[in-house]
Amino acid sequence: MAPAVSPFLDPGTSSSANSLGILQLKRDHLIPTVLSDASSTEYAEGNVVNTRFGSFTHNSLIDKPWGTQILASVVDTGSRGGRSKKRKREANGEGPAAEDAAGSEEPVRGIVKAATTASSGFAHLVPPTPETWTLCLPHRTQVVYTPDYSFIIQKTRLRPGDHIIEAGAGSGSFTHAVARTVFNGYSGLEAPEEDKDGQEANGTTSRKRKRRQQRHGHVYSFEYHKPRAEQLREELVSHGLDPLVTVTNRDVYADGFCVDTEDENAPNADVIFLDLPAPWLALKHLTRSPPPPAVVKSIASDPSTPTAEPTTSTSTPQAPKPFRSPLNPKTTTRLCTFSPCIEQVQKTVAAMRSYGWLDIEMFTMEHKRLEVRRERVGLAEEGLRGANPSPATVQEAVQRLRDVEDRAKVFHGLQKEKQEQVMRRAEAKKRGEKAPAAESEADGQKKKTEGLPPSKHDRLERAKKESESRALFKEGRLVCRTEPEIKTHTSYLVFAVLPVQWTAEDEEKARRKWE
Amino acid sequence: MHSHVRPSTHIALRLPSGILKLVETTPNTNINLGKFGTFNSNQIIGRPYRLTYEFLEQEDPKAQPKLRVVPAAELHAEALGSDHAAPAEAKDDDAPAEGGVAYDIVGEDGEVIMRNNRLTVDDPSRQTLSMDEIEELKKAGSGSGKDIIEKIMASHLGIEEKTRFSLAKYTLRKSRKYLKRFTVLPLDIPILTEYVTEKEAYRIMELRDDSLGLICSWANIHSGATSRVMTAEDGASQIGGGRWLVVDDTGGLVTAALAERMGILYPPTEEVSSESEDGNEEGLPAEPNGDTPANTTPAAPTAPPTTTTDDTHMPDATTDTIAGAPNGPSTSQPRNPRKPRQQHIPQSSATTNTLTVLHSNNQPNLSHLKYFGFDSGDPTPSHPLYTHLKALSWLQLLSPTDDPTYFEPEVIPEDTLNTLKSSKRGNYYRKRRRWERTKRVVDETRMGGFDGLVVASSMEPVTILKECVPLVKGGGQVVVYSPNVEPLVQLCDYYSKERRTAYIASQFGQQNGKRKQNGVDEEEDEVEADDEDNFPVNPTLLLAPSLQTARARQWQVLPGRTHAHMTSKGGAEGYLFTATRVLPIEGKVEARGLRGGKKRKTGTDTSTPA
Repeated sequence: MAPAVSPFLDPGTSSSANSLGILQLKRDHLIPTVLSDASSTEYAEGNVVNTRFGSFTHNSLIDKPWGTQILASVVDTGSRGGRSKKRKREANGEGPAAEDAAGSEEPVRGIVKAATTASSGFAHLVPPTPETWTLCLPHRTQVVYTPDYSFIIQKTRLRPGDHIIEAGAGSGSFTHAVARTVFNGYSGLEAPEEDKDGQEANGTTSRKRKRRQQRHGHVYSFEYHKPRAEQLREELVSHGLDPLVTVTNRDVYADGFCVDTEDENAPNADVIFLDLPAPWLALKHLTRSPPPPAVVKSIASDPSTPTAEPTTSTSTPQAPKPFRSPLNPKTTTRLCTFSPCIEQVQKTVAAMRSYGWLDIEMFTMEHKRLEVRRERVGLAEEGLRGANPSPATVQEAVQRLRDVEDRAKVFHGLQKEKQEQVMRRAEAKKRGEKAPAAESEADGQKKKTEGLPPSKHDRLERAKKESESRALFKEGRLVCRTEPEIKTHTSYLVFAVLPVQWTAEDEEKARRKWE
Repeated sequence: MHSHVRPSTHIALRLPSGILKLVETTPNTNINLGKFGTFNSNQIIGRPYRLTYEFLEQEDPKAQPKLRVVPAAELHAEALGSDHAAPAEAKDDDAPAEGGVAYDIVGEDGEVIMRNNRLTVDDPSRQTLSMDEIEELKKAGSGSGKDIIEKIMASHLGIEEKTRFSLAKYTLRKSRKYLKRFTVLPLDIPILTEYVTEKEAYRIMELRDDSLGLICSWANIHSGATSRVMTAEDGASQIGGGRWLVVDDTGGLVTAALAERMGILYPPTEEVSSESEDGNEEGLPAEPNGDTPANTTPAAPTAPPTTTTDDTHMPDATTDTIAGAPNGPSTSQPRNPRKPRQQHIPQSSATTNTLTVLHSNNQPNLSHLKYFGFDSGDPTPSHPLYTHLKALSWLQLLSPTDDPTYFEPEVIPEDTLNTLKSSKRGNYYRKRRRWERTKRVVDETRMGGFDGLVVASSMEPVTILKECVPLVKGGGQVVVYSPNVEPLVQLCDYYSKERRTAYIASQFGQQNGKRKQNGVDEEEDEVEADDEDNFPVNPTLLLAPSLQTARARQWQVLPGRTHAHMTSKGGAEGYLFTATRVLPIEGKVEARGLRGGKKRKTGTDTSTPA
């Protein structure tokens, strides 16, 4: 079922059925969908993703080159066949996300109607990456966002071929990011594409002799919460990442990090990432040799440890189990803990010092996104959208004031004239004369207002007309500023390293060899 | 990799002052740390990284200095302060617990009993030792420097009046100055970045760790070891294969960072002999990977070349100097033609998991790669970058026919060749190879389909993107780094939603216009020139252009003294432009959504207009 190569690692040229694709509607509005060409009970057109920019049938998304702009289809969303009330609620309540659970739909009719293209609406089909996945994954816990995980990967020197322990898998954003980083081929099937040209085949035979078995990168992921662990496991299978990640449902405070797989040294970790409420309780399992019991006790018995701490960790008798280190004995172990509160950091750092971790550093990540726009200011913007219609310069302001004054003067003049005229007429009536012709007066009024600055109504009209011929996209001042909402605190990142164990005998050996 | 110090590699030494020093571990050489002392490289080769050494006290100052590994507990005790001078593990543990601090500040009856700085006297005369005396001490002292610190502290009149924290700070400051210690660090990207930042940040465009991490993530850099190069729908262009296009004005730091994430930065470790000796089997983490045998074969390659090129077996000149650099004899390769000839591995011949560097000078500036055993002027064939790194100039990309190296040199028949002098023959082969390499790289690059584009250049970004964005595959990532925000703001504007709408409108207008008025050439030219100004790039090729910046702020974590660092480096903030390459549909596209009801506002929706 799972694709041979994960679309996260090598998406190929185009989307394909039963593989994850991401529909990008807006920058932060992405919809992950496992594409399926099977027919659906809901729509005659097969599976459909409904968005507010239109409906997209899976068939219009399959076998499209990645990055293609996809036009929305006409889908009758009103009269679905065989829908139950429950389905309707689902679809209405969760919108397009409900459609993602396409797996549950049983192909009933078998024939998928070809959809016609709608007159409007489109989206882009992009291949999944840990970054796009982070933006649209189903949230289960707090997500480790791109700026944080990028920095963690950089600081811990995570590289292809490394083994990493991740405890507190949470929503899986970090899992995806590090799976990409450690990836250097699937174990079991060495370089599956090797046979693509014949010349390489003869290269491999000679190479295999020469080279010791290449170490494949792997992620050992631990999650305390069972449903979350299950969900992550399913996700990884559908993303084709399951060969790279081992998900274990476990309480790591109590049971540590060693897993039983074919590889007896597993996890054999080079890098550790702890996103746990009490990382200091997990550190006792991350040593190269059995830690002194006094140290373990002093850390565990810290009175301020949250009560959520499983009491089983101390009470279960675990004496018979021989000590096994989950760390790779041949490399410097790099550790990162991710805690939102400073108290957690202080305890963690204290524990790290006791267990001999070095180069302890703590960081916070300050990340912001900027929006770029053109700010148009000026009287010419009057009545236009997205601009500030106040004067752009002092000169403009003065001119406007003059104009207003000029108009006022003329109108006052006219007013006066009118009044005088009325008076005159009244006088004439009194005297029994006939009123002078009103028409000529109206003409005079027109003449007077002709040279005047335009009225507000005229100005608006003119601005609107002119805006059509203006290149608004390059007018105004180009500005950038922080986006309306920023994440000011994600978590405290503590980094530390644990050097390779180095005994006096080792030193003696090295001295004999090199000196 | 990076578990033990190997001979003849670059490493970094951190001195007590925090300064980094880069040295090469040539066996049997002295490494001089200035006032801290001198030691022999053999004293650290073969030992693990991340250990801290201390010079041991010695009777005879002329004798070979002895080193001692400082245990972790001792290092921490110093950082924590005077209470923990005796590095007892148990004591160390309860120290960080807040209990101790609370006691210090408030007594049981609520009386404040913590010492404060009320009585502190700020006067240099409190230190009774004169500068000359301290200099004397420094000259006399041959050991770790602890004795000097002790004497200085003892001669300080006010030491008793100092609060606990200020005493700890004072001790720490003195240790930084006088302790004769150093820590051995592997020279990797973060360390190199730190080193260059301290010395000449402008050379790496003031890139920081956090920016590099972001670049690698957003560009979706990963090992393309098993990726396939595939043919696009049109049947001609190629797509994917874990190939990234790079424009790098940071002396190769960005290239190195990307290569690290692709697993092709570090030379294959030649530990087989050394490790098997003492039975210390090494697990070879992150061996450079890729699907060509060329990059994985150690110094004596036996695997045949992998490329499908018409590479003839050329008997001479195993190292192929880039673009006709003066032919210096290669140091690593046997030159004697009598010896069984080494198979020539064509440079830059890998088809997947590659980096293609575009450079504006005749030669790429990748000087920082030298720390990772790769000299771009004279690369070693055993280094993974030898096959996985490709370089071409802008001239070669945009107008290959103007570049002389793109033209095939004259073919000399075998018979004539045999009569030539060996030096001439070598020259002939070198030229042929250079041509083959150039042609291969140029043709391949022009075919496009790259997985992503990473730009860190001082050139105007819009001119780079104009040429490079079309070479990125659909769904590929485009990332541009700039130390300053202005160039990227400009770039965002060229891809703005408003401009895109106008661009599409103008495309339609032109099509209609051409139909109506054929013959009025002048006007059309004018329109085109105008368009070039208004639309220097095709704004429909990138989706969701965004601008971001990130900075990691460091904190001090000490019991009772946890706070953000008071000072840190200023300078360039470092900004990142990211976008996804997309394939717009031909023809008119109507947007939907946000119609009616809501007021339409500019800049709220990036995808509504086509």
